[in-house]
Amino acid sequence: MSPMWRWRWGLGALPLAAALSMLVAATAPAADPDAGRRKAERCAACHGADGNATIPGTPSLASMPVFYTHWQLIMFRDGRRRSEPPKTALVQNLTDEDMADLSAYYAAQPSRGRSSPSDAALIAAARPLAEAHHCISCHGPNLMGQQQVPRLAGQDLDYLLKRLQGYKARTTSDLDGMMTMVAQSLTEGDIEILARCFAGLDAAGAGQSPGRGLR
Amino acid sequence: MRRIVLVSLTVAFLTGIALAPLTWAQQQPPPAWQQGRPPELATSPLAPHATPPTPKPAKDIPVDKAKLPPGFKLEVWADMLPNARTMAWGDKGTLFVGTRAAGAVYAVVDKGGKREVKTIARGLTQPSGLAFRDNALYVAEIPRLLKFENIEANLDNPAAPKVVYEYPKEAHHNWRYLAFGPDGKLYFNMGAPCNICMPPETHANISRVNADGTGFEYFARGVRNSVGFDWHPVSKELYFTNHGRDWMGDDVPNDTFHHAPRPGLHFGFPYCHQGDVADPDFGKGNLCSVFAPPLLKLGPHVAAMGVRFYTGSMFPAEYQNKAFIAQKGSWNRTQKTGFRVMTVTLAPGKEPKYEVFADGFLQGEQFWARPTYIQWMPDGSMLLSDDYNGAIYRISYRR
Repeated sequence: MSPMWRWRWGLGALPLAAALSMLVAATAPAADPDAGRRKAERCAACHGADGNATIPGTPSLASMPVFYTHWQLIMFRDGRRRSEPPKTALVQNLTDEDMADLSAYYAAQPSRGRSSPSDAALIAAARPLAEAHHCISCHGPNLMGQQQVPRLAGQDLDYLLKRLQGYKARTTSDLDGMMTMVAQSLTEGDIEILARCFAGLDAAGAGQSPGRGLR
Repeated sequence: MRRIVLVSLTVAFLTGIALAPLTWAQQQPPPAWQQGRPPELATSPLAPHATPPTPKPAKDIPVDKAKLPPGFKLEVWADMLPNARTMAWGDKGTLFVGTRAAGAVYAVVDKGGKREVKTIARGLTQPSGLAFRDNALYVAEIPRLLKFENIEANLDNPAAPKVVYEYPKEAHHNWRYLAFGPDGKLYFNMGAPCNICMPPETHANISRVNADGTGFEYFARGVRNSVGFDWHPVSKELYFTNHGRDWMGDDVPNDTFHHAPRPGLHFGFPYCHQGDVADPDFGKGNLCSVFAPPLLKLGPHVAAMGVRFYTGSMFPAEYQNKAFIAQKGSWNRTQKTGFRVMTVTLAPGKEPKYEVFADGFLQGEQFWARPTYIQWMPDGSMLLSDDYNGAIYRISYRR
């Protein structure tokens, strides 16, 4: 009797890098990163002036793909995603244009890593897990994310742990149900290793230009 | 120096992933859109098109590129409806619009030729199924069937909906289409929770329930994912579109159009695709002839969505009782296809005639719109939603 899920494998990371850059997206009405900089001033207290947060547990937004930030703002506005402190009131009055400007601003900011770099032993431990759980299929070969999928490289460790644990416990919001499904087969130990490794990966330095990954 | 070490470790990480030998025991199911992809297609760049969070304003939508038969015209009827999909009329002329990822339900009110858009619900889980009856809007989101009573009188301040029915919670392929049948029951799909797998009994079907949530019944089985269906105006029998599986190549299998004249038929999934192609894993020993074949193959990966029969009086007489099928367009094909509205002409004893009605949305390998669902206006014109641009077009006819 075949198992309900029939798994297939075989993905080349290096061709996938080229492939992901070919992925196309709509050209949304032109967002204004300079307006986004102004609008982001009220977010700076927690997320950092340039989107590089320093508070443990608070995510950095610098170099986050445009669609990811924008969709998450929608999720916060609609109460589908909660945070401590609660975000909904802060984003309630953001228009589509505000969200687009903010997302474009953050996407263009260079990111700074939050943890000490992952050493070879940690990477060796994480590699088979990332392969087995197909992380780079969606998060990209550099774990820098693309389209509606977030950057993981150089993200805050506490935040990554909290999100993965929440997906596993089914208490964390999910735009399309994908991460909840993925996390069910992660053990607590897997989550520790993956989160530690990704937090210590080089977040490439340069910001994501708004055109990155677009058609 | 440290930076060089960082970069080289990152490169080592990636190279390691590229070269690490794969072990069966360690593998977990891949992301849903990759599931079923065979090793020989492992380097394929194909992936689903991400839904933009922002709608495109009417002025940025190049409607003059649409191609229609003589006498027909396409224009933007309403815009700034992020992720607009299904459409259902209220008794008082309100058009309700469902969405998927955006999680919202909109109400469009026509104020003397200008469309006013209100959001009557937010934060739902892919509320794409919509149906209206007796003053109430039914919304099928993934986990629940909701009922908004007396909604048209309270568009600015809708009361919390009642939960009429609870669905299985798996997200994949379970964004729903919802419609009242001639028997007064609510019909909906429960898509297969995978690209290709042996589905549990609760999935890969079209089912129905009474409007109060009682009397659940399976209607059609072996349906991988139908997100559009309608009943023939004369025979009152059910016709539905179906999305074929991915990762079997550019040209196989087709999306399909089916006729289900009675309950209890099995349409082949996962054993047999498009009526005549055995699945490489599940099709051994099962003859395709055992299952109900499709009425028509619609084209591979075209993403067949809404289907509606025409019963209005604006279009020329030859369009009476034709089925119109909106196709969102392909992702799992190296050359794009779909991105159009087709018609199917049915006549007893004859092969169905399949023709293009509206295209031009795909220009080379770039698309500027994705036709999603069809709804008729009282004057017999067509409303066509586009969940990519977040817009609704109107197609009208003048001699």
